[in-house]
Parts: sequence; structure tokens; C-alpha cells
Amino acid sequence: MVRSRAHLWFVAPAIILMIVLLIAPIFVAAALSFTDYNLGNPGFNWVGWKNYESLTKFSSYKKMFTASLTYVVVVVPVSVALGLGAAMLISSLRFGGEMYKAIFFLPVMATLLAMAIVWEFALHPVVGVVNDVLRTGCDIGWLHALLTGSWLGFDPAGSWYGSSCTEDFPVWFGDKKYALGTIAFIGIWQAFGFNMVLYLAGLTAVPRELYSAAEMDGASSAWERFRLVTWPMLGPTHVFVVTITSIRSFQVFDTVEALTRGGPAKSTYVMVYAIFEKGVKQNLLGIGSAITVVFLAFVLVLTITQVYFVNRRVHYS
Amino acid sequence: MASIGLRGITKTFGDTQVLNAIDLHIADGEFLTLVGPSGCGKSTTLRIIAGLEAQTEGDVEIDGAVVNHVRPSRRDLAMVFQSYALYPHLSVRQNLATPLLLRDLGFWERFPLFGALVPGRRKKIETLGAAVRDTAGTLEIEHLLERKPGQLSGGQRQRVALGRAMVRNPAAFLMDEPLSNLDAGLRVHMRAELSELHRNLGTTFVYVTHDQAEALTMSDRMAVMLDGDILQLGAPDDVYQNPQDLRVAEFVGSPKINVLPGECDSAGRLSCLGVALERRLAKSADGAISLGWRPEHFTLHPGETSECFAGRLVYKENLGADVYLHAALADGAHRLIVRVTPARAHDAAVGDALWLDPDAGRTMAFGPDGRRLALAEDDEAERVV
Ligand SMILES: Nc1ncnc2c1ncn2[C@@H]1O[C@H](COP(=O)(O)OP(=O)(O)O)[C@@H](O)[C@H]1O
Ligand SMILES: [Mg+2]
Repeated sequence: MVRSRAHLWFVAPAIILMIVLLIAPIFVAAALSFTDYNLGNPGFNWVGWKNYESLTKFSSYKKMFTASLTYVVVVVPVSVALGLGAAMLISSLRFGGEMYKAIFFLPVMATLLAMAIVWEFALHPVVGVVNDVLRTGCDIGWLHALLTGSWLGFDPAGSWYGSSCTEDFPVWFGDKKYALGTIAFIGIWQAFGFNMVLYLAGLTAVPRELYSAAEMDGASSAWERFRLVTWPMLGPTHVFVVTITSIRSFQVFDTVEALTRGGPAKSTYVMVYAIFEKGVKQNLLGIGSAITVVFLAFVLVLTITQVYFVNRRVHYS
Repeated sequence: MASIGLRGITKTFGDTQVLNAIDLHIADGEFLTLVGPSGCGKSTTLRIIAGLEAQTEGDVEIDGAVVNHVRPSRRDLAMVFQSYALYPHLSVRQNLATPLLLRDLGFWERFPLFGALVPGRRKKIETLGAAVRDTAGTLEIEHLLERKPGQLSGGQRQRVALGRAMVRNPAAFLMDEPLSNLDAGLRVHMRAELSELHRNLGTTFVYVTHDQAEALTMSDRMAVMLDGDILQLGAPDDVYQNPQDLRVAEFVGSPKINVLPGECDSAGRLSCLGVALERRLAKSADGAISLGWRPEHFTLHPGETSECFAGRLVYKENLGADVYLHAALADGAHRLIVRVTPARAHDAAVGDALWLDPDAGRTMAFGPDGRRLALAEDDEAERVV
């Protein structure tokens, strides 16, 4: 059989575009990470693993990894659990489900940057509505007693709420004890609507007859039916949701840039913000690329483990 | 072992009423089939018995006790679903064990990790494993125990679904079209096997199907349903030979019963397309009468007579042991299907003229409302008149 080479002409454009647009930049970044190249400099030197060594050496990079990993470890489980819970509640509604879906999905549709401004205002230490409400609570006797636990006989000053009442409430974005937590809270607020929609789709794919079968088999409580049917049948959805949420959490940038700029004391110095600061603001492409490569490695490892190891166990047919 | 009673069961979904006051009593150990075309409310009836669906009105009784407010899991019934509804993430062994685990182990014994610490659990797990092995042995699926449902063929899944129902010795089995996803050969084989299973277990079976052949072959009694009503309830033979309603006559039997428009005079004497039938209705009826004969109730006549329907052979359906001749009648509007032996059919060719002689004694007459009209017994005396 004579084979023509025409097929090469058909696939070439796609392959070339893929190489130029998707693969080459990664290799360029990888190459740059072994140099001391600064944007604007005429030349550069190969510096070997030096950039990577500084990633392990300097405390600001250690804080970077801590901030990113903490953010992921907090945002992923909480937003996934909330998304699943909300999806199950909404799918059990007879009416009104569409409205809840739309409302919970709003944060996903609004850009995070725009919403960050709202949060900045709401969480402002002096004029913000959050601290305002908390402060008002201090003056309402029973609420104060309830929140501080003094109705159970505890010392009000010993509780977070009690001491905050006397010493004022936190500067949410300006205190390194609270900054990352607050950023993570906004991340959860934004991600959970997305997860909810994914879980809603997953729930519609669970065959109704399985619930009937579980009921006949003696799974009389909602919890038993959840364990026997819902949870395992959502397996592929779990993998997808956790992967997507993890990657998106690793990529968190806009809230940090808008609200804390990595501070205070580098407590919210997440990886993508570090890449931005080093590579774009300070033009230190060498170290910026090194962080990029590590970042990509994280995401890749995450994706590969979930796709290859977990996926294999959740598709049952 | 249990008897099941339905009293005045009505079900409405929104504005549509799908069950109209169903009354049914299923005896202990009986194999009762609910049969009817798709959408007539069979599954809904079954789900109401199971407790998976709440009836709008009426009572469900199990062994004489009203169970309207008893949860499905407490009714001690087992159900086999059309889609089998096996747990896809569990192995066959775990699928079979699930009903036992849920019923026999307490909450703490099923709790992950801690469960193992509860005294007496091991003993229970052992008896449970034995029950699973017994059931698997009965159904000959021991070699499949470690597989997941996704790795089984349709017939094997069907057996596992049966096993999951059997393993805890329920008071009655409810089966919703369990054979309809199998290929034709296996379906016929499983009919025999299910009948045998019923005989061996001696448990009440409530079996839902749209296939009248399954109903005829397996049941002790069959209930023919249509549009939310039970039209006729009786032994398969009786329903086939003596349908009380034209719709039952048309639904039961394959090929379908032959129905022709009939007339009766003031004395109730029947005729059909100009052929006098020498039979008389017990009570003369007004309006359009339909007359029915099963395909086996005709004989081929060698030549033209006034007691035969004249027609032309349009199709020969050869099933080996029997041949069905499809004849277009001379009036051009009706067709008859007639069963003959292969020998008889041998020299009939498409296009040949046929004379079909109905067995007048087997004539079934139906009134304008579809109800069966009785024939007079005293035909000999009447014929002379
Ligand atoms: N959950 C439901 N909501 C609304 N209509 C339903 C529901 N379940 C069944 N029906 C309707 O009830 C009728 C009977 O259904 P079913 O009992 O499933 O019929 P079948 O005899 O085919 O098993 C059908 O017309 C069906 O559309
Ligand atoms: Mg059905």
C-alpha cells in the first residue's frame, strides 16, 4: 500500500501551535529558571540550581510554600464539603431550587477582583459592616453571654469574643494572624458555588432505583443511604471537584493582589503572587521562573495522582 | 411468607390519576403476575406495595395488618428491579451481604473501625457470610463473588439481583420486569428457572411484566391491568380462554385474537360479515358487537360454503411446529390469523383463496362497551327455530 504523507500536512498546524503556545513556554520557563536573567539586561549567566536552592533557603520562600499549602488545605475540603451539602439540600427541594442555584452561583460569576473590593469594605476594621455587627453584639447582654460562654460560667475575657470586645476586633487583612484565614474565607465563599453546581450535575446522574434498592435492603436512615449510594456514586465527581478546586486554589492571586499584597509579614505570600512579584514587578525572571516550575510541578503531581490513581477506583464499569 | 392485600388503592401524580381504586388479594405463597401494556400503572402498584411510593387513598395490608405507615425496610419485602440496581462499587459478595449487614448489624457494629470492637460481631459476620455463600450456591454464582457488577453479563447481573433479594428470606418477592433486559433465549430460560425458584422457596411472588407470555407461563394467577384498572384477575388458562373484556382478549395471546364486527337479531342470533354462526346471545344486545376467535379456533375448509369466511392468503408465518396463515377477507377491510399444522399449510401459497371455518362454539362476543356477552347454552334447540 502506498501511503501518502498528506496526513502530516493536516496535523502539522495543530501540532506546531500546540508546541509554540503550550509546550515551548514551559520549556522556556524551565530554561530561564537556571539563569540569572533580568528583563532589560543584555545577557545572562547560567547559574545551575542556584535559584532552586534559594527557594529552599530563604525564609520568605518557606513562608510562600506555607501560605499556598495552608490556603489549599483549608479551601479545598471546606468548599468541597459545603458544595456537596448545598447540592444535596437543593436537589431535595421540591421548588425554589433554581433560585438557590442562581444565588449560590453568583460569586462564581462575579469576578473575584470586583468582589474583593466589597470584601475589603465589609471587613474594614473601622467602618466595615462585619466589625460593626460584632461590636454591636458586645452591648447585647444575652448575646455577649452566649458567645463568650459566660452563661456556662466561663470567664468572658478568656474567650476570643470577650477579649475582642474589650480590645477591639481584628484588622482582618492587616493582622498576620487573620490575613490568610480571611483570604481563604473569601476563596471558600467563591469556590463553593462552583462545586455545588458540579455536585448537582453529579447527583442527577445517580440512578433513582439505587435509592429504592437501598431502602428495600434496609437502609432506613438518610445517612445510610448517603453512605451506601450517594457518596460512592459521586466518585467521579469527587475526583473532578477536588482536582479543579485544588488547582484553582493553588492559582489564587487576585484576592491577594487586591487585598493584602502578600502581607502582612508575608503571611499571604502565595505562589502565584510570588511569581508575579519576582517575575513581573521586580523583573527577576530567573527566580520567578523557578517558582513557576515548582508551581507547575505541584499542579502536575496533583492532577496525575488524582486522574491516574483515584480515577481508576471510582469508575465502576 | 405473607399474604398481601390492596384495598381501594388510588394513586394520583399531580392531576393525573394512574391507579383507580385497585383491589387485590394475593395469597400466601402465590405467584401473582401484574401484566399490562407499558404505562398502565404496574410499577406504581408494586412500589406502593413495597412502600417506596405512598398511595393517595386506600390500604396496603401484609398478613392482614395495615402497613400504610410502615417504612419499606420494615415491611420485610424484597424487590428485584428492571435495571437490577446493583451497587456498582461493591463486589457481588458485598452486594449480597448488604441487606444482611443493614438488617442484622446494629448501628455501632456497622461503624467503620469501631465496629470491629463490638462483642458478638464476628459471630454475626460469619453467619452472614454463610448465608451469602448458600444463596450464591443456589443461584450458581459462586465463581462471580469477587467481581464487580460492571464485569458481569446481563444474565449474571440478573442472578445477583435475585440473590440480593433472596439472601435474607423475605416474606415476599416483588419483581419489576426482571427479565426484560435479557436476550430472548435467556428470557425463556429464566422463566422456567424463576418458576422453579418459586416452587422451592414457597414464598409469595408479585411479578410485574408487560409480556403476556411471561404472565401465562409462570403465574398461579394473573391480573391484567389497563389504564390504572385491573380488568381481569384469574388463572392464566381462564384469562386466555375466557377473557371478560375485549381489551383483555386482545392483550393476552400471541398472535392476537381475531376480532370481527358482528350483528345480532332481536332473538340474539349472531352473524358476522354475512356468515350465520348458529349461536345465540343469552340476552340480545343493542349496538356494535365484536366477535373474537383465537387463531387456533378456525379450520380450513376445502371449498366455499356459507358458513365460512372467504379470504386470500397474504402471508405465511412459519414457526416450525405451527404455521400462522394471514388472510385478507373478501370485504377488503379485515384480516384473520389462523393457526394450522405445517402439513395443512404445505400447499397453501400466497395469493390462494382460503375458506376459514370458525369454531362457532368458541365464539367470544363482546358488547359495545367491550364487556363479554354470554352465549346461550341451548343452541341445539334454537338452531331449528
Ligand atoms: N413519579 C412520577 N411522577 C409522575 N408521573 C408518574 C410517576 N411515576 C409514574 N408516573 C406515571 O404513572 C403512569 C404509570 O406508570 P408506571 O406504574 O411506571 O407504569 P408501568 O405499568 O409501565 O410500570 C405512567 O403514565 C407514568 O407516566
Ligand atoms: Mg414499569
